[in-house]
Amino acid sequence: MVDFATILAGFGDAFTPFNLMFVLFGVLLGQFVGAVPGIGPIMAMAIAIPFTFGLDPLPAIAFLVGVNKGGLVGGAVPAILMNTPGTPDAAATALDGHPLAKQGKPLKATKMALFSSVTGDLFSDIVLITVSAPLAIMALKMGPIEVVALMIFAFSILAGLIGNSLIKGIIAAALGLLVASVGQDPEHYTPRLIFGYWDLFDGLPLPSVAIGMLAISEILRRMSLAHGNVKSGIITDGSQKPEDRRVSWAEYWACRYTMLRGATIGTILGALPGIGSTAAAFMSYAMTKAGSKDPTSFGKGNLQGIAASESANSAVVGANLIPLLTLGIPGSVGAALIISAFMIHGMQPGPLLFEQQGRLVYGLFGAMLMANFVNLWVGQLGLRFWTKVVSAPESIIFSAALLLCIVGVSMATSGLFGVAIMLIFAIVGYLMSTFGYSLVIFIIAFFLGPRFEKSIAQSLALTNGDLTQMLKSPVAVALLLLSVVSFFWFLRKNAQAEALEKKS
Amino acid sequence: MKLKSRILALGASALMALSAPVFAEDWAPDGPLTIQIGFGAGGSTDTMGRVLGKVMKDNTGWNVVVENKPGGGGVAMFTGLSQMPPNRNIVGMGVSIPVLVQLVNRGDQLPFDVDSFDYLGTVAKAELALVASKDAPFDNLEEMVAHAKEQGTLAVATMAPPQVLVMKQTEAKTGASFNLVTADGGAEVMKLILGGQVLAGFGSGEQYPYLESGDMKVIAGANQSRLSYAPDVKTFTESGVPAYVDPVFFLAMTGGTDPEAIKAISAAIDEAITAPEFVEIVRNAVKGDPINMGVEGTKQMMVDGLANAKVLFGK
Amino acid sequence: MVSADRISGIFFLLLGLAMYFVVNPAHIEAVEGGSLNPKTVPDIISLILALCGGLLVLKPTTHQVANLQNILRTAGYSLLLVAGLFAMSRFGFEYVAPLLAFAIMWFIGERRPFWLAFGAVGMPALIWFLVTQALGRALP
Repeated sequence: MVDFATILAGFGDAFTPFNLMFVLFGVLLGQFVGAVPGIGPIMAMAIAIPFTFGLDPLPAIAFLVGVNKGGLVGGAVPAILMNTPGTPDAAATALDGHPLAKQGKPLKATKMALFSSVTGDLFSDIVLITVSAPLAIMALKMGPIEVVALMIFAFSILAGLIGNSLIKGIIAAALGLLVASVGQDPEHYTPRLIFGYWDLFDGLPLPSVAIGMLAISEILRRMSLAHGNVKSGIITDGSQKPEDRRVSWAEYWACRYTMLRGATIGTILGALPGIGSTAAAFMSYAMTKAGSKDPTSFGKGNLQGIAASESANSAVVGANLIPLLTLGIPGSVGAALIISAFMIHGMQPGPLLFEQQGRLVYGLFGAMLMANFVNLWVGQLGLRFWTKVVSAPESIIFSAALLLCIVGVSMATSGLFGVAIMLIFAIVGYLMSTFGYSLVIFIIAFFLGPRFEKSIAQSLALTNGDLTQMLKSPVAVALLLLSVVSFFWFLRKNAQAEALEKKS
Repeated sequence: MKLKSRILALGASALMALSAPVFAEDWAPDGPLTIQIGFGAGGSTDTMGRVLGKVMKDNTGWNVVVENKPGGGGVAMFTGLSQMPPNRNIVGMGVSIPVLVQLVNRGDQLPFDVDSFDYLGTVAKAELALVASKDAPFDNLEEMVAHAKEQGTLAVATMAPPQVLVMKQTEAKTGASFNLVTADGGAEVMKLILGGQVLAGFGSGEQYPYLESGDMKVIAGANQSRLSYAPDVKTFTESGVPAYVDPVFFLAMTGGTDPEAIKAISAAIDEAITAPEFVEIVRNAVKGDPINMGVEGTKQMMVDGLANAKVLFGK
Repeated sequence: MVSADRISGIFFLLLGLAMYFVVNPAHIEAVEGGSLNPKTVPDIISLILALCGGLLVLKPTTHQVANLQNILRTAGYSLLLVAGLFAMSRFGFEYVAPLLAFAIMWFIGERRPFWLAFGAVGMPALIWFLVTQALGRALP
């Protein structure tokens, strides 16, 4: 479709010191802002777009690509170092990343996250550059009925994260779905459970719920523990061994299948608009844990857990560009922001993009590849900076993080109303974890809920209310069968893990 | 084509600069002038609003700040605006139809009506079209209705309540039956059409690349007048279904604002929408040129729009 | 000793029933026709919640709530944040943030003047500079 000369010219346009500078600048900003508690990668993009107004298209897009990719790496930092993920997809990274950091190996944990994030990202970029067109057509064939089946499959994999009580897992998921039903209903556009607050008409603001539940509730819990005993956030004595500060090639190579699986899951889910990186990260994590010979080591600082989550959630972001560039369909909020930036710079995503602006598209691909390597390099330096920052006293870390979350959420939502919701969910999250309910399951259900209900409504409309028509779609049938199998398989694995735990 | 339109826009703005009355710069905001956008980041309202704010800032030297206040298609933002004391230098930007729909259906639950605001002007009009895949066995609304009757039913994707009503009206007038699939915005409608899950659906701009590439065709226009880019295609009204939707992007302030401020800000908006970079973003977003109905015209548009929405919703 | 699950189970049982019988009927509009009623999904979820809550009361796990003192402390910090937020809506971030930061640090037990000053003055000033000056956005 695009001739080779255009491809070369596009890459040639991209690989200039001038563009490299903008990529570097973007990655720096993205990694920094993405790592600040309460701000996160999406905010980083929204902040960066106005700065590109005066630039030419390619440097502008190179800069935004840098911010986007830098934000991904940055997003894992607060999750690992403080157990306060700013986005739900980083919550999966925190499961093993934070325990490892607490063992005095924060650099090892964040570096593993960096390496697997860049690996997953590079994988999905290569898929995007080489085979985006056929993948996009495949994604189109996934209609509402197939999406319902896919969501059921995603929920069944959550069984792998449920832990020791099935009933409590279901309660956490049901509560997430109930909270997700606030806002307009998917078919009749009526206001539902908004109690007169029109700000809730589009649903509870996602940043408020995610940051409240995951970050603030954790800060509240830790503040009560730190009471009267001020120490550093992460204690690393200077005497630690060099192998605890880095990830060796052997350790990286041992995670190759995990990362490949994570990147594949992330790429497939990223190509389907609307499922999102949260589901990808947790699906990859749950599969890795269940497939491991030593499942009890997960949640205690297993490098495989970090690799699973980060490779998957980073792969989603590159793959999100597949429907975006080829079809003009944004798969996430971040992708919608990229479309808006493209439009400001005169690029119209859609079926003719490659033909009409092939050179710019390959320039974009070139910038993406550059950004991956810059990410790796800047990350090495940046992570050292952040591990230094968290060695400050907890008192200052908590108070600063709270202020930043307040400011960040008020910027990302509509002011203090969004902050008040964040606080409510912080308290709900604290109570849930105190009473032993999984926040992670709640959050995944909350994020998948609206899409799930919408797809059900669409499927009902398409089939005249006869859901048995689902059985006519081979893809849907296959996914439903897989769901049943994986649900019971995960439950059995859980029971085995528990038995092992009791024995030891 | 782009270059030509750029030159045209440049020429137009030069003409405007020559002919526009030189308004006295005797009013300026004491502090930032905030434009609150009634939608989230990344949509067409957001994109146009951000460029508008930037151009206004460049032209006037005011500190123009752009914020997103999403919720209910602008209702949350206008609720906030109506509850503020006047003269807070906050401008709301939204789309007429979603606000009017909620005023008609749930007016008793809302703390404002059309008269609660001082209007500043409009920036563009959205054209709403019913489109179908190029392989669909029909080329206009009549043929589509006939096909639906033959098949018993036909799946159509919609993305907002007025479109559902337009289709219901079509059912009522023609006796055909449709399966209405509600989608999350125009992009998802396009996905459903391209994927073959529905045969037709509504688009307010997302369909242009596919019309250009020949993957889709326009079946009917859903505005009061015909589509600017497909003047041969009949509207719903012309095809015997008396229903139309005219979404307009407009700006307003809290009622009771200082008239000097209204004059200065509306003049600044009027000046900004002729800037080439704004013209280009509007062309990318709605395929038409910027339209400013002016202070009085915008108010009239809202009053008329409310009356039309009442008819559409049968109230 | 009562399992914590009994308490949370009763809570979810009551929440589910209250949603199903009281809240959903009052706060979800009734519609005619269509494929999926706005009330259907929330109603099903409410019933699942009530059912699972009930089952949990009958078959609790051995989960214990760790430490009542910590919960009370968290309640204290939460109240502090609520008060800070309320004050912020009245007086603005610039005035409230330093006081809030100071109060939080003081309650955690920080007494070193350098860190107290840095947290209560330095951090809010840095945030103010970044948001209003570097990014041109408004503070809450």
